[in-house]
Amino acid sequence: MNKEQQFSEEFINAFVDDELTPDEKAQAYARLGDDVLLNHQVCELRKVRDLVALAYRNVPAPACGTSAIAAAGRKCSTAIAAGLALVIGGLGGWFLNQASHAPDNAVVAQVAPVAEDPAKVLFHVSEGSPEHLKSVLDEVENLMKFYRQTNQKARVEVITNGGGLSLLMAGISPYAERIQRMQKEYSDLTFVACQNTIERIQQELGLQAKLLPGVVVIDSGVAQIMRRQNQGWAYIQV
Amino acid sequence: MKKLLGIVLMSALSLGGLGAAYAENYGKQKVAYHINVDDEKTLKAALGNIQNHINAVGKENIDMRVVMHGPGLALLQMANKNPDMQDKVANLKRQGVHFNVCANTLKGKKINYKTDLYDTTEQDIVPSGVAEIAHLQSQGFSYVKP
Repeated sequence: MNKEQQFSEEFINAFVDDELTPDEKAQAYARLGDDVLLNHQVCELRKVRDLVALAYRNVPAPACGTSAIAAAGRKCSTAIAAGLALVIGGLGGWFLNQASHAPDNAVVAQVAPVAEDPAKVLFHVSEGSPEHLKSVLDEVENLMKFYRQTNQKARVEVITNGGGLSLLMAGISPYAERIQRMQKEYSDLTFVACQNTIERIQQELGLQAKLLPGVVVIDSGVAQIMRRQNQGWAYIQV
Repeated sequence: MKKLLGIVLMSALSLGGLGAAYAENYGKQKVAYHINVDDEKTLKAALGNIQNHINAVGKENIDMRVVMHGPGLALLQMANKNPDMQDKVANLKRQGVHFNVCANTLKGKKINYKTDLYDTTEQDIVPSGVAEIAHLQSQGFSYVKP
């Protein structure tokens, strides 16, 4: 690879997954020394890889700061388990045979969505003016209605970071009641808050950010977006 | 993540005007542009992005869908009145770009696509703009929000 060129995404992924030849690895290390962007990419990819591994590991929630991620993982496992029950009913012995080889939830997680094939959509909200937040909720609700009317299974996540977090903050969100109603009405709709933003608010403004009930906290909004895209979710910026 | 990186690379390329030099490297692309704003500056810039994108990849190599919903329908409303916008949209259509309009928005805002939107037929209308964008991504389209 030409040293002047950008490394391809495949190359960087292979580097993170330790799949490069020693020569290529040396090249990558040489560039990492002075390429801030590359450093950042590698760091983010490693983080995503580690988090995915963590979320898929079938362990009880650790009593540390990552419990929220584990909780999200558990929620996901429950949905997958429910989906799996249906699939087993439909496909009978063949699937049971496959599933019995499954070492853990990771295999189940790959199989179930294919058989069920739900739409998976994430909305990214990073701006917090009340008019903007209203249009976000309108769009989310229109989409949920659309999937309901057309009898499509769908999982939808509203991921907030930066200014968008105000959508989900108790005492600040102008739409707390509406969100509560939407949570009740659509069980496949999840509102997600970014832990990095919560910490930033605490540091910079000295505010203890309290969230609306039922909001899931994840480590990083951006990492969650990448994780979801890797898992085949559609990305919509509103 | 691929999509996000794609967007970054794409903007880097269109900024540098290096598109033509890379045309042979991109292969086939499927891309959905998401339009849900109505300010003229953003819409004009979006049309510019789309043209640059086609220049970089080659019109025979790209399946390009522009999906409009909510305030984004302003793009075709403006093209209906403003000759400059109309030229740009017509030119993109000649290169095979599809302009898709959200039926929910037409209904909600009581817009008559035959009279209010530039060169729009029933075939251009999708039931839900957001669901269309999600569907396109599940079919391998990259997402770009200008």
